Order: sequence, then C-alpha cells, then structure tokens
Amino acid sequence: MLEVRQVSKVYEGQRGVHQLDFTMERGEIVGFLGPNGAGKTTTMRMITGYLHPTEGSVLVDGVSVHDQGRSVRSKIGYLPETPPLYPDMTVQSYLKFVANLRDVPAREVKLRISEMVSRLGLQGREKQLVRGLSKGYKQRLGLAGAIIHKPDLLVLDEPTSGLDPNQIIEIRDLIRELGENHTVLLSTHILPEVSTLCNRMLIINQGKLVLDGSPQDLGSAMGDRFKVSLEVKATEQQLLQVLSPWEKAETEIIPIVATSSSASSERSLEATSSQFGASGEVVSSAPSTVHVRLTGETSEDYREELFSLLSGAGLPILEMKRENLSLEQIFLKLTTSEITETEEALTPGENLQDADDTGSETSLDSTSDEGEGSK
Amino acid sequence: MRRMMAICNKELQAYFLSPTSYFAFAVYVLMTSLLFYSSFVYYQPSIVDYRLVLGDTLSMLLFVVPLLTMRLVAEEFRQGTDELLLTSPTRVTEIIFGKYLASLAILLVLILCSLVYPFIMSFYGKLDLTSVWLSALGLFFLGASMMAIGLFASTLSQHQMVSAVAGFIMLLVLWMLDSFAGNTGSALQKWLDPFALTKHFDNFTKGVLSGPDVLYYITLSGLFLLLSIQIVERKRWR
Repeated sequence: MLEVRQVSKVYEGQRGVHQLDFTMERGEIVGFLGPNGAGKTTTMRMITGYLHPTEGSVLVDGVSVHDQGRSVRSKIGYLPETPPLYPDMTVQSYLKFVANLRDVPAREVKLRISEMVSRLGLQGREKQLVRGLSKGYKQRLGLAGAIIHKPDLLVLDEPTSGLDPNQIIEIRDLIRELGENHTVLLSTHILPEVSTLCNRMLIINQGKLVLDGSPQDLGSAMGDRFKVSLEVKATEQQLLQVLSPWEKAETEIIPIVATSSSASSERSLEATSSQFGASGEVVSSAPSTVHVRLTGETSEDYREELFSLLSGAGLPILEMKRENLSLEQIFLKLTTSEITETEEALTPGENLQDADDTGSETSLDSTSDEGEGSK
Repeated sequence: MRRMMAICNKELQAYFLSPTSYFAFAVYVLMTSLLFYSSFVYYQPSIVDYRLVLGDTLSMLLFVVPLLTMRLVAEEFRQGTDELLLTSPTRVTEIIFGKYLASLAILLVLILCSLVYPFIMSFYGKLDLTSVWLSALGLFFLGASMMAIGLFASTLSQHQMVSAVAGFIMLLVLWMLDSFAGNTGSALQKWLDPFALTKHFDNFTKGVLSGPDVLYYITLSGLFLLLSIQIVERKRWR
C-alpha cells in the first residue's frame, strides 16, 4: 500500500529526516510517534506530496508520489496538524470546495457532504461560518475534508491534539471505524492512544526510525528479562533462604527501600499481627511482609514455579506483579539516549517508583477508555 | 477545469467577504471621481474626450491592484491552507489560474466602475466611442498584467502587507521605466521604453488596436503567472 524507501529530507542548517524506510499494508492503523522535531510532520508531508524528499522515494500502490503526484494524491486523505480551513467559509461551502478539489464526482457531491456532516456530527452547523466553530468542530471539519473523497490512505497529523477528553474519544472511535476501510497513518503525542488504536507503531527520533512493531509485544521485546515484583509475608531472612538456592531462574533479589507508604503499611501490618498474635509471642519475630523484585536470567515466565516454591516453603505470596516496560518507558528509552544510561545508574527503589508513576498515568487514561466503552 | 473554477469561486467569495477589497474599491472610486471632478467638471475643457480623464485615473490602478492581489496566495500560506491545495490532486497551474481568473473578474468590475465617467461625459458632447471602448479594452489588458504581477508578489511572502508592498514596488518600477531613462542617455531610453507598462497603453486610447501592444500585455501576464507557478511549486522542494 505505502512504501517509504530510504527517504531523506535535508533542510538547510536543520536536521530533517534520514534514510527512513518502512512499509504499510492495506487496512493497518499505524501510530507514528516521536518527540517534537523528530520529523513526524516532515515525513507525513513527504508521504502526502506536500514536500518532495531530498533522497529516496515514497510509493503508494507502487506509484511514486512525486513523479505521478496527481494520481497518487487523489488516493490520499491528509489532515495536517492545524486543519486547513478557510475562516470565512461556511461548513457546507468548505466541504463543497474540498469535494471539488479532490475530484469527488459532481453528482455525488451533495450526497457526500450530507454523509460527512452526519458522520462527523456536524448537523445543524452546515450554515455556520468556520470562524465561529470550536476547536473540536474545526478538527472534525478538517477530518471530513480529508475523508470526503474516500481515500485509500489516510494520513492524520495529531488528530486529537487540543481536544477535550470526550472529543478525543469520539475522534478515536471515528479513526477506528475508518481503519476498517482505510489504511491509516496517525501521529500522536499521546502514547496510550497508540495502544488503544493502532495495530502497529513506528517510533522516530532525530529523523531516524528507532522502532517498528506492535504495541503489545513491544514491552516484552524491550524488557528482555522477565521481571516480577513480589510481596511475601515472611522475614527477609526466611525469604532469602528459600530464594537464593533457587536456580531455575537465577535471581537477583532487590529488597525494597521502604517508601513512606509501604513503611506505614508494614507498620500497620505489624500492629495487626501483634493484635492477633498469640500471647507471649515476641512482636519482632512475627512475620512481616517483604517486598522483593526478581529479575530472571531470560525472558522465560517463571511465576508458576515461584508460586509453588514459596508455598512449599510456607511463605504466602500477598502480591505478585509482572513488570513490563510501559509505553512511556519504551518511548523514553528509545528517544532519549541519556535516559538509558541514567536509568541504570538510578537506585532500584527510585527506578521502581518511576515505573509506578508512569503506571498510574496509564491507568488514568485507561479509565477514560472505560468511559468510552460505556458510551 | 472544475478544480480551477472551484478555486476561482472561492476567491471571488473571499473578495466579496473581505473588507480590504471594499476598501480598495472605495479608494479607487473616490480618487477617480475626484480626479474626474477636477479635470472635467471643475476645469471644464472645451472638448469632450475620455482621454482627459483616463490618464489621471490610470495611475490609481497602481495603488489598487496590490491591495486586491496581496491576499491571493499569501493568505493560503499564512493559514496553512496551502497544505490542502498542494496535497489535493489539483495542479499548481490550476491553483494559480483559478486565482488569476478571480482577480480578472474583479478587474472587470473595476473597469465597469470607471466607465461611469465616459457615460457622464456623453451627456455633454459627442464621445469617440471607438476610443472609449478600446481604452476600456486597453485598461483590461493593462490591469490584467498588473494583476499577474500582484499575484506573483503575493507568492513571495506569507504576509499580506509584504506582498502588497512588493507588488507596488514592482509595478512602480515597470510603470516608471520610460521616465527613469528619460533624462539619461537616449540609447538606454530606447532600450527600456518598450518594457514600460503604460507605453503600450497609448495606442489603445488613440483607438488603435495593435498586435505588439496586446502581445506585450499577454506576455507580461504569462511571464508572471509562470513565475508564480514556479514559486509555489518550489515550496515542495524547500
């Protein structure tokens, strides 16, 4: 469907895009990620024929965008970062103008316009001036203009930027719907958007492609060792006795530096155990909880074994959590070269806390996705 | 063709909606009518001849044309709508010609406005109608090439005012070309004369339609339209 072959764009005194190389199959929704200035927009502009590459070629269905520009451009729908709207036009006249530009058959124009209006929820605003539309409606109108000619390939540059959560959900739903019939390439800053929408993601940094794969198996691919965090009801000594001879997945045990919250929970646990503990027992010897983090030698899953090992030793597992790199961590790892070095230098405690932070961020967004489901 | 007409339509709508074009028209009508008043009503010449008025009103085009063309392409760049135009299957040629066509339509309205004066004059004596109609035709050719230059100036910047000033300067240089060399060597004057904007207008006012004059204006328009197309096309290679 789309082939980007060794494409480079060199700006005077600026970095552009270097030797970008990827392909897209029909029906894919591909997320295009990268920090600001990485070359996302430049790449999209080259794909849509707005810019010509300095080197390399972009092929759509085997036809070069810059040699056979017109025939290729009629197959592409493009929504730039700021929707290209004329403030003095009405919604209807804008759509009519775009339909004429994009070679929509004359007899179908009216039908398509009403189709777009109802599909993007612009009903009742047909006669309204673009100037007076809110940001969300402008974005919708821009999107309507991009899909009015039923393109094979849809290129969207940050389609959800600047929208409120409800609008984001609506636009995402729409993109998902469009992905059924069109091939979609979308750039975004919002990482969870990629995992909810796309079946593939490309990460670009400083004009170079640094990652290409599906969001699901990326985490395990990047975190090459199988990591588990555990909360076990035992003393540290007891646990070490059981775990140090365990060879199957040779482990490096990382006792957690007690953070304020875990320390307080430990204290309360101790308090409860002393309350429930039989009389005469020494409080300090009562089994408290230990947090450990196990790092496997390989990426092999050893959780089952770990469970039987610990239960055999009579140490109850209170919590076992597999630790995957979150999308944010992958993104950071790939796009900031310094981070990967400093990350290793960080103390494990800080590192984990870091992971917790990003985790809470993702969960925040997943709640909004649940809202989407109930909608 | 359909895409070109779509762009032309859009530009015409924009002309009717933008205050700048009303302002330009107001300036044009006000100034030409003042000049008409001073040179015909106040001065009361002994003969009734459109040329008495025409010469003065002609120079008003110099100010009005850049005002009318400055928006054409510059505004697309500023709003980012060039991304829509350049990523649609539309050729750059169609974009430029569509916009040029709209400016020609506006020019026709402008010329219709100036035809009011010979109409008024016709009540006071017998006008040479050939001269009047050919003057109007000449005005159209002259205006058309000026519009092309203004359009070209509009492709050079994304700021309307910059385009307007650039257009005005270009027009002024071409306008004054014959008088620049007026006092210097005659060889230079001979060489520059044929390129001056108004030089080829004289024959029209005399009621003479000559090939070279028409060709000059058409070539000039064509040249600047071609340059505009190249400038816009060049954006893809930035």
